[in-house]
Amino acid sequence: MLSVTDLSVRYGAISAIRGVSLAIDEGELVALVGVNGAGKTTTLAAIAGALKPHQGTIAFQGEPIHGRPPEAIMRKGVALVPEGRDILPSLSVEENLRLGAFVRHSRSEYQSDLAQMIELFPILGQRLRQAGGTLSGGEQQQLAIARALMSHPRLLMLDEPSLGLSPVLVDQVFELIGRLRGRGVTILLVEQNVERTLQIADRAYLLRTGRIEAEGTPDHIRSAVDVEGVYLGDHGRMQP
Amino acid sequence: MITLDFIVNALSLGSTYALLALGMVIVYGILNLVNFAFGELLMITGYSLFVLSIGPRLPWVVMAVLAVGVAVLTSYLTERAAFRPVREHSPTAMLITSFAVSTLLQNAALLIISPRARGVPLPKLFSMSARVLGQDLPIRNLLAIATSLLLLGLLVLLLRRTVLGIALRAASDNFRMTRLLGVPANLVISVAFAISGLLAGVVGLFWVGRTASVTPTIGAAPLLVAFVATVIGGMRSLAGAVVGGYIYGIVFSMIGILLPPGMMEFREAFMFIVVILILLFRPEGLIRGAYSTKRVG
Amino acid sequence: MGLREWLERNSTFLVLAVALVVLAAITFAIGDLLIERIVTVLFIDLVLVLALQVFMGNSGILSFSVAGFMGIGAYGSVLFSMSPAAKAAALPDLYPLLSGVQLPFLASVLIGGLLAALVAAVVSYPLMRLSDAAGVITIFSLLVIINVVLVHWSRLTNGPRTLFGVERFTYLGTSAVFAVLFLGVAWWFKESSVGLKLRASRDDAFAAAAVGINIVAVRYLAFILSAFMAGFAGALWAHFITSFSPYAFYLSAMFVFLAMLVIGGPMSVSGAVIGTVLVTVLREGLRSIENNVNMSKILSTNLVGFTEVVMSVLLVVILVLRPSGIMGGRELRWPAALSGRNRSQGSTGDKSEGGVPRADV
Repeated sequence: MLSVTDLSVRYGAISAIRGVSLAIDEGELVALVGVNGAGKTTTLAAIAGALKPHQGTIAFQGEPIHGRPPEAIMRKGVALVPEGRDILPSLSVEENLRLGAFVRHSRSEYQSDLAQMIELFPILGQRLRQAGGTLSGGEQQQLAIARALMSHPRLLMLDEPSLGLSPVLVDQVFELIGRLRGRGVTILLVEQNVERTLQIADRAYLLRTGRIEAEGTPDHIRSAVDVEGVYLGDHGRMQP
Repeated sequence: MITLDFIVNALSLGSTYALLALGMVIVYGILNLVNFAFGELLMITGYSLFVLSIGPRLPWVVMAVLAVGVAVLTSYLTERAAFRPVREHSPTAMLITSFAVSTLLQNAALLIISPRARGVPLPKLFSMSARVLGQDLPIRNLLAIATSLLLLGLLVLLLRRTVLGIALRAASDNFRMTRLLGVPANLVISVAFAISGLLAGVVGLFWVGRTASVTPTIGAAPLLVAFVATVIGGMRSLAGAVVGGYIYGIVFSMIGILLPPGMMEFREAFMFIVVILILLFRPEGLIRGAYSTKRVG
Repeated sequence: MGLREWLERNSTFLVLAVALVVLAAITFAIGDLLIERIVTVLFIDLVLVLALQVFMGNSGILSFSVAGFMGIGAYGSVLFSMSPAAKAAALPDLYPLLSGVQLPFLASVLIGGLLAALVAAVVSYPLMRLSDAAGVITIFSLLVIINVVLVHWSRLTNGPRTLFGVERFTYLGTSAVFAVLFLGVAWWFKESSVGLKLRASRDDAFAAAAVGINIVAVRYLAFILSAFMAGFAGALWAHFITSFSPYAFYLSAMFVFLAMLVIGGPMSVSGAVIGTVLVTVLREGLRSIENNVNMSKILSTNLVGFTEVVMSVLLVVILVLRPSGIMGGRELRWPAALSGRNRSQGSTGDKSEGGVPRADV
């Protein structure tokens, strides 16, 4: 469904990622793990069109999307939930969701989608009229995911959804991701929380200083991470 | 003397100034562009009226609508031709571009029409007064207030009730994320410029209505108003722009009363002192937006 | 440090200074009066563009008020340099305190610069705390207000009307000397610790503040220096042109200075010089075309504003194609081969991207 070949993105003269290749098939949950600064966010941003690749190709469902503007890529069905969520703070929760459905065109569909989201995320239903900026971190995360789902994405990309959340909320987030996966949503998940991620992923890639170090099954990645002498701490978080 | 006439005058000034500030902020909020050519949109409205008055006799309202339409079109075209290519670069590059466009338009008017003032047709209404509570109030002022409130109301409706409006507000919050949600950047920006042109055009009608004439440099004063009102109000918020405009208009009118006759010519200078004082205490402007602009010190 | 090292470090200044002196010498040798006038004005314009560069190039904030401070310097200086008789003729309502005073040319010019710096010091502190856009437009407003004051304070300035009777003191040599002098000032400032701090704040305000740089203070200093230079240049110009009105210090002048700096490249002193020379040549060329067309009556009406139209289009083109200007933030330097050793890394080139800071997509 998604195939990235030899992707390279630069910030000025500095290479953020180099020679990155990955592929995702429909229905899979693929993980991209690595420490801070490894280039995970850059990779997702390039796929979503927020960054222009310096080199390489990205194809989605056979069509090239590299270098295209983000709004065009979103319309093809690639939705990004960015690191930091990027909730639109002065818009209400409902308005955020309404905007998530911008690329859909049916009013009735919107209503039923909205109802579904409220079912999935009851807390959002309680705060529909509230400004997005007043929500807590966990609530914002839910809103960001719900907003992405409103667009009926074919590929959902999540950038560090557990960042900054309490353990209880982290559990909720991973449980939700599992549920979405169960409904057949194709997911590309970027996380620092390696262990939890590998528990639910079909396949994974390990990114380090801008390059793919390892790829394959969760077990394979686990041993690759071990071999590098990286310490897996309490929460399965990677240390640089 | 605070008479009804004074109050209406101050409010009408504030209303036009609020529209000016709004026209400026609506573009700034999304693009981080300070549009120096904004004042020229008023100039173009005036010149359109002038040109239209040369031809066959049309009712003033028709000419007014056409003139405002030209302003909207000009605003849209300057974005397409001058700002869009520079958008990728930086706010400063866009700012200088807008200054260049402003100079270009002014000198084009100089070149094509004339450096001298040109007469502008006005509706009879503009010279009439209405008797309210024992005072003669210029209808022009009342119309200015009414028109502003109408436009503000329509704008609020657009921004709160339509998807396009939501998209505009979102773009002002976080342009990048708005695009990631599938909202076409160019559409949002064009609409913002069109609205800006509309506001400038309407204010232009009232502005030339005061002197019944238009010159190539008529845009400088409204530009200053838009700038200062925006800075007072807080550059990130539409509500702030409106508040800034009204405050500017009211304070400016008050200065007009308080100053001795010999000093009246320095009214703008005194207004500027007031602005400096406001900025001394509130650099981010009077209205705190949900997420205020960067403040340095 | 050794002489070699000093020469290396300041090679930009030396190269440019020599170029300016050569230009002055050639002009003098040619002896054509018109060319002499053009080059004299070029040197004065250079000081103004350098004034702009000192603030804008280092802080990243546009300073539209440079033309205004030029005006303050112009009027401020002539109030002291004009003889009592000339003042009585040109400014009959002048304040008694000033009507009797007369100072030598240099002192008056210095006063002009100091006056401009004083106004900047009094008014601009609150403006330095503003975010970039708010700062730019408030500084722009300052230009408008200065114009309002100059136009309406007729007792001092003769109102919107032209002020006559200023003695001619600025010649080719004078303007060349001060051009080189202020070139040195601008260069020194850029390389000084204040300049460095300012550039740091331009590139990343948060990081700069985190390191303990007082952004407001460095901006303030740069702004005052910029105003002084502009005022000084205005005074020089006043004593060149000998009669002027407040509108000479307003938007059209400002546009020219801005064009010069932007086309040359705002982030470097070399850019200021290159831009000034190029734009001067261009404008003179366009103006002679305009004059010839008008004189030959090819078109039914006079061509007015043609020069400005072409300049604005050119400015936009440059901004689209090469936003950091011709020099692109680099400084001219004495070629390494001639200095006999490897080119030093030095802080003399501005390594950040573009002449104007990059935007986030």
